[in-house]
Amino acid sequence: MNLFRSEEHASEWLGGRAPGETVPVVTLAELAAAWFGDRLAPDWSPHTREENQAILDRAGLTDAFWRLPG
Amino acid sequence: MRQDDVELRNRTYGLFVQLGRAPTAAETAVAIGANADDVRAGWQRLHEAHALVVDPVTGEIRMAFPFSAVPTAYRVEAGGRWWYANCAWDAFGVCAALATDGRIESSCPDCGESISVGIRDARPEDDSLCFHCLVPAASWWDDIVFT
Repeated sequence: MNLFRSEEHASEWLGGRAPGETVPVVTLAELAAAWFGDRLAPDWSPHTREENQAILDRAGLTDAFWRLPG
Repeated sequence: MRQDDVELRNRTYGLFVQLGRAPTAAETAVAIGANADDVRAGWQRLHEAHALVVDPVTGEIRMAFPFSAVPTAYRVEAGGRWWYANCAWDAFGVCAALATDGRIESSCPDCGESISVGIRDARPEDDSLCFHCLVPAASWWDDIVFT
């Protein structure tokens, strides 16, 4: 899970490998805020798979690549 | 997840932030009034529950998401300290977890040029960058260090 200067740089880096998914850094920031925002809460409890999937969905990451294992 | 493991996890995270690095099993044991073997056993259960990652050789913390216990390509200045994050996602996660602005320092894996991006109010100050995820979500935990 890497940060690139641009989508073109990510493509160059991949070469012939299967591409994975590229998303804008603004989306990543939104995703990280929702995913990690409660990580240090004194009453933290583990997210369920459904809660994590909903975070991905809200960030617009809805295709099969982003489906968590059941 | 057992309630005592949740409490161990929360104390471990608290110590990580307090120390600015991963606590050892011995340090955690002293902090919670347990013994180090019990701490390692609890961490192993938390590892199996994907709540953190234990080094398979030492039994110590390797990852307490978003924080890394070992140096990585993603350094984050936040809350008056420098942290290592496990990946780009976690780098943003450090600021989110600490609920503070910050700065991520890394380099483009393609060209090697440095990347320095400020985070203000949970948003990147440079929105030209992009994030790439190589491994599908269904396989993240097949090899979490590689992911």
